[in-house]
Amino acid sequence: MDLFVAAFGFGLVSMSVIAIAAVGFTMQFGITNMINLAYGEVMISSAYVAYYLNRAGFTIWFGMVAGALFGAVFSFLLNRILYAPFLRKGTSHLGMVIVSLAVSLMIANLLLPIVGYFPVSYQEDPGRLIRWGSIALTRDQFIIIGIAVVLMLAIHALLTYTRLGKAMRATAANPTLARNCGIPTQRVIDAVWLITGALCGLAGVVAALDSDSFAIANGATFLITVLAAAVLGGAGQPYGAMIGAVLIGMITELSAAAWSPQYKEVVAFGILVLVMVLRPQGLLAKRGALAAAG
Amino acid sequence: MNTYYAVNLLVYAGVDIIACLALNLQFGVSGIVNFSFIVFQAVGAYAAAVLSMPPDTANGGFQHYIGGYELPFPIPWLGGAIAGGLLAIPVGFVVLRKLRSDYQAIALLVLSVIANAVITNADKFLGGAAGIALVPPPLSDRIDPNTESYQYLYVGITAVCVVIALVVANRIVNSPYGRSLRAMRERELAATAIGKNPVQLKMTIFIVGGLIAGLSGGILVGFIQVWAPSVWLYPETIILFAAIIVGGRGNNIGAILGALLVPVGFEEITRFLNNSPSIANLGPPGLIPALQWVAIGLLIIGFLWFRPEGVRPESRRVFEGAPVREDR
Repeated sequence: MDLFVAAFGFGLVSMSVIAIAAVGFTMQFGITNMINLAYGEVMISSAYVAYYLNRAGFTIWFGMVAGALFGAVFSFLLNRILYAPFLRKGTSHLGMVIVSLAVSLMIANLLLPIVGYFPVSYQEDPGRLIRWGSIALTRDQFIIIGIAVVLMLAIHALLTYTRLGKAMRATAANPTLARNCGIPTQRVIDAVWLITGALCGLAGVVAALDSDSFAIANGATFLITVLAAAVLGGAGQPYGAMIGAVLIGMITELSAAAWSPQYKEVVAFGILVLVMVLRPQGLLAKRGALAAAG
Repeated sequence: MNTYYAVNLLVYAGVDIIACLALNLQFGVSGIVNFSFIVFQAVGAYAAAVLSMPPDTANGGFQHYIGGYELPFPIPWLGGAIAGGLLAIPVGFVVLRKLRSDYQAIALLVLSVIANAVITNADKFLGGAAGIALVPPPLSDRIDPNTESYQYLYVGITAVCVVIALVVANRIVNSPYGRSLRAMRERELAATAIGKNPVQLKMTIFIVGGLIAGLSGGILVGFIQVWAPSVWLYPETIILFAAIIVGGRGNNIGAILGALLVPVGFEEITRFLNNSPSIANLGPPGLIPALQWVAIGLLIIGFLWFRPEGVRPESRRVFEGAPVREDR
């Protein structure tokens, strides 16, 4: 039983990591209508940015800020240089999915000669172990949970109380109508790529910090977990992604305790399949996966 | 150019052409973005391997796999094709039934990554990460596979399979069924409105594509005699997508052209580059293979931007008796 209580603790950390990543992904999709399959590779690129800064002597907390900035600028440029021109050209949704997968392949392989195949890890003292019953988490893991909670509250505040957040929701609901109401949708979309890119970069560093070591191949596993959480919650729904992250994070950690940590992604995939069969629109969305793709 | 090189090239070309014809039926003709296409080829290869191999206690039991039936030649290849078709049924049932098309694409991509991870970790099932080796080449009990005539025979059998796949693909593309598929690809709602059942159309072509993909896997594994998770990672599907996009979506000639240009032509150029030491030793290790993948990505993006219809565009089909000529 203690094993499961301990796994519950790890589940709290996992869900925090996934929540940061999945909310970024789902906002990108919900507002810009773009399934960005390069998301996992942007995450891993940011993790490596933090790694090199860390190796140069900076703390990992500085690395997180740098990773977030890198992710924001990278995603923004990716959209401006590649995705937006393709969308303006009238490329179909499926065409965009193929473009983003090609981008993902290119990022991974441009990164590979630089960083190599071998797994690396941050030089970071995880701090002393804080015990609470059978749950034992390090100081760093508590900080990760704290960052996630603060970010989720910030996203909620952004979407609910600010003009930018309301403009984002309007753009997501109906871009043409939003533009006609005087909302500068182009600038809103730029802001979305910056914000979600920052979440993506930060999530990459946090995920790398949470796992003992990481390698280039983790880009694909990050993407799968993020997709599972986003689809489970209802793609395009930030609150859905939070719920999805909570469920995926907890279930994968508990299954790792009960079964084998090798199969974490398989469990995430199993949940994804179940959702797609039983409730393709996700937990929160009304239309989601059922609507025709334009 | 020696015989071995020529035979190698021809068999790979045949396998790639068959695979591209199958993917073209799904992606080019029907608009199903099957990102897990390579899984169907892999299933065919594994099935053909275990059907033709002795039980895993043979050869000192150094590898573990299920099955091992030592069946004579055509059966393993047919088994490979059937395995590909059978796999398409549950996958299609989950993915094609009511999901929207971009969700289908990501679900299939995730399936491809996960299937590879599962087979890699399950080392008792199909050899795990090490894979399966010493797959007996077809007819090896009658003809010595190390002779030159056997090599030509293999090319011949592959060519027959290419012709069969092409005939099947042509029949489908030019049939009323193919017309329904194209109608569904262009506008699913309109096709539904005139009484076509898109789920049924997609399921059928998914299974047909799976059968042909399975056959291509059987041919390949008989030739290279090994099969492992590292040869069917998900980027392999992207190469085939690049082939279809470059060659021209929706027509079989385009698919063949793409197969010859991208997987065959490209691999040969990089093999040539890797063989010259001054280029192969350039930069950090693995630079050239990595740049090869980058080039595949650039090829896809470049073609989608500058020439989305491909080298040989699909011909525009116009109904002769139409009261109004549509000139666009």
